[in-house]
Amino acid sequence: MKLSDIMSYAQLSAYTEIALVLFLGVFIAITVRTFLPSRRQELEAAARLPLDDDHVTTPRTPRTPEDR
Amino acid sequence: MSSATSAAAAPPAHRVSGIALDRFSYDDAVVRKFLFATLIWGIVGMLAGLLIALQLANPIFNFNTEYLSFGRLRPLHTNAVIFAFAGNAFFTGAYYSTQRLLKARMWSDGLSNFHFWGWQAIIVAAALTLPLGFTQAKEYAELEWPIDLAIAVVWVAFAVNFFMTLIKRRERHIYVAIWFYIASIVTVAILHIFNNLSVPAGLFKSYSIYAGVQDAFMQWWYGHNAVAFFLTTPFLGLMYYFMPKAAEGPVFSYKLSILHFWSLVFMYIWAGPHHLHYTALPEWASTVGMLFSVMLWAPSWGGMINGLLTLRGAWHKVAQDPILKFFVVGVTAYGMSTFEGPMLSIKSVNALAHYTDWIIAHVHTGALGWNGFMTFGMVYWLLPRLFQTEIFSKRAMELHFWIASVGIVLYVVAIYSAGVTQGLMWRAFDETGRLAYPDFVETVLKLMPMYWMRVVGGSMYIVGMFIFGWNIVKTWQRRPARYEVPVVEAAPLAPTYVEEHPVVPAPTLWGRFNQVQWHRAWERAPILFTVLTTIAVIVASLFEILPTFLIKSNVPTIASVKPYTPLELAGRDLYIAEGCFNCHSQMVRPFRYETERFGEYSKPGESVYEHPFLWGSRRIGPDLAREGGKYPDLWHVRHFENPRAVTANSIMPAYPHFSTKPLDFEGIQSRVDAMAMVGVPYGDAVNKAADMAREQARRIAAAIVEQGGPSGLEDKQMIAMVAYMQRLGRDIQVNRTAETTGSGAGAASGAASGAGSAGGSH
Repeated sequence: MKLSDIMSYAQLSAYTEIALVLFLGVFIAITVRTFLPSRRQELEAAARLPLDDDHVTTPRTPRTPEDR
Repeated sequence: MSSATSAAAAPPAHRVSGIALDRFSYDDAVVRKFLFATLIWGIVGMLAGLLIALQLANPIFNFNTEYLSFGRLRPLHTNAVIFAFAGNAFFTGAYYSTQRLLKARMWSDGLSNFHFWGWQAIIVAAALTLPLGFTQAKEYAELEWPIDLAIAVVWVAFAVNFFMTLIKRRERHIYVAIWFYIASIVTVAILHIFNNLSVPAGLFKSYSIYAGVQDAFMQWWYGHNAVAFFLTTPFLGLMYYFMPKAAEGPVFSYKLSILHFWSLVFMYIWAGPHHLHYTALPEWASTVGMLFSVMLWAPSWGGMINGLLTLRGAWHKVAQDPILKFFVVGVTAYGMSTFEGPMLSIKSVNALAHYTDWIIAHVHTGALGWNGFMTFGMVYWLLPRLFQTEIFSKRAMELHFWIASVGIVLYVVAIYSAGVTQGLMWRAFDETGRLAYPDFVETVLKLMPMYWMRVVGGSMYIVGMFIFGWNIVKTWQRRPARYEVPVVEAAPLAPTYVEEHPVVPAPTLWGRFNQVQWHRAWERAPILFTVLTTIAVIVASLFEILPTFLIKSNVPTIASVKPYTPLELAGRDLYIAEGCFNCHSQMVRPFRYETERFGEYSKPGESVYEHPFLWGSRRIGPDLAREGGKYPDLWHVRHFENPRAVTANSIMPAYPHFSTKPLDFEGIQSRVDAMAMVGVPYGDAVNKAADMAREQARRIAAAIVEQGGPSGLEDKQMIAMVAYMQRLGRDIQVNRTAETTGSGAGAASGAASGAGSAGGSH
């Protein structure tokens, strides 16, 4: 008996529906969590991360025209 | 580099408000390298695209050499623009932004450089092996197994470097761009490994372990997710970093970006089967693929709107700043192609569009508009920062923007109309109920004006690419004698998490839930998080793929379907090496206009021995699933030697070398053995493949002479090609009443005995 025979008789089709429900549940949980009022401040701070990445001690000096 | 290391070694003694700050610098040298690689491979890949566009407009551009024929160069073009141009562009942006978002230098400069040089070596290997005809015949996964192994090694090096940087980061929150990078890195690794599982038959030849329907399913699970996780999620990560940078304001809605991420990750992995509508794929799989594709529309447009609205309050800058113009058009192209993608996945639309140029137009909206323009905007933004000087010419940026934009419009409009035209011509019936355009070549010749317009549009885009390159080189020439390497300061993450503002547990259950402390613990474990996400992706994929593999009723076997004879297998391998599948499908869909034109529609059980499947995705030439027996052997000989001698105005390249190159009979044995290893019941052929092939070759060569053709072909490649052509689709023609059986045992034993009998075609 091959693996495919076993799988064919195992009645697995219900598992796809269970998987769908699980995935949907996780997705809804993520959505709810994202919009929790308590997270607002944190996410606003996170949104600014790309603009906030220059903690430089030797700042880049702007090139003067003579440098070129 | 030297100043970088000295900066990195600076003492971490600095203290601000009691927290020891690390002093370090970012590795921008590797970013500069990736930037130049992006430019060089972009030009190479697009020039290859121009050449194959010319070949379709006029076959003289095949130059009558096997190494430059369309079938071999088309994968070179797609691989070069996807993995070399877009790949290096992603790495450029990822190495720049990851270090800054995580406030950490890449974990290992050695691994960064290994990644860079390894990736370039792989591209060179691809550029050499594809014109030589070494291919696995799977779209965007053509490279043969030794190169696939190298890709896996280099990708793992990249992943290790990336995840170690993630562990050593100095920023607690992981910005959403990094999530997109993580998803891309992990998923590409999974896709690459599973789609390329094969059994080698020599250094540059292998057979997919999957066959027929399974192989098609696996390939388009890969193929669609290669688009998703190599061309979409990496560039969305870049969008979420570089657009706020260029607009000098945060992303419109960070919450929306989180939902964008999760919905893409959940949905994309299921969408692949829409590439196989109306094929021999089971109906349920095709429907699942369609539904998830349509659902993808929502998050894609959410992401597009999020990108565009990031420019709120900065719209006046768009008029002056070419960088923002590139981003606006790039994101708009993302919106257009992600509207079109779901639309094309609807079965009835797909019935018209599949196998036509519509798909080519669709991918070029995405590739030229989204990937190209996001890359250009990002690189222009990076140039002054990486080369520490001003951009050489802002006017050249403007010119690049306009010439490339017009180029895209010309290309895409021409190829859309080509696609719809040909699709409609294929399905047109006249008033007597017969095909209005029974001659396939008629539906190709109609496209010639559009093909020339594509050449013009594509050329404009390439001119823009040269302007881009000129501006980069000129800017690079103005770089300082020595790059400044700024020292950055940031506090390391505490080994155990310390709340800056400890939370007092709320009295109510909802209050405590809302404080989400229960979730904070998970977030502090990004690696565990990645592992769990990966498991989720794999499980989801298994649920999609396993049923077709393991539940037998999904692929009914047909008793009369037998493996190819050794000679036919050799011919099939030549068909693969020449890339014939790039223009010829072998999959007749169950429509009257298809069965009228090509013959009986294809059944899943017919391709159970097809390692790999060769269903194809585009019909530049006619479908070949029922080619066997349609024409005499001599017709094929003449047609291969000079297609235009048989079909006037055919745009097929000529293959005169089939008549001169000897067939490697002794090499057939190892191929039959490899096929037997992946489960094809080869019976007697596993011992005497070469003899059987010689015997069949003699018979076909004699038949050709009898028909008035040239003699002396019995040891040439031509014989194998003719044998393969004449076998196509014959298994169910021979026995039309072949009963469909759910049990594999009877069919397998019948096939084993039939393997030696030359398949009944001669």
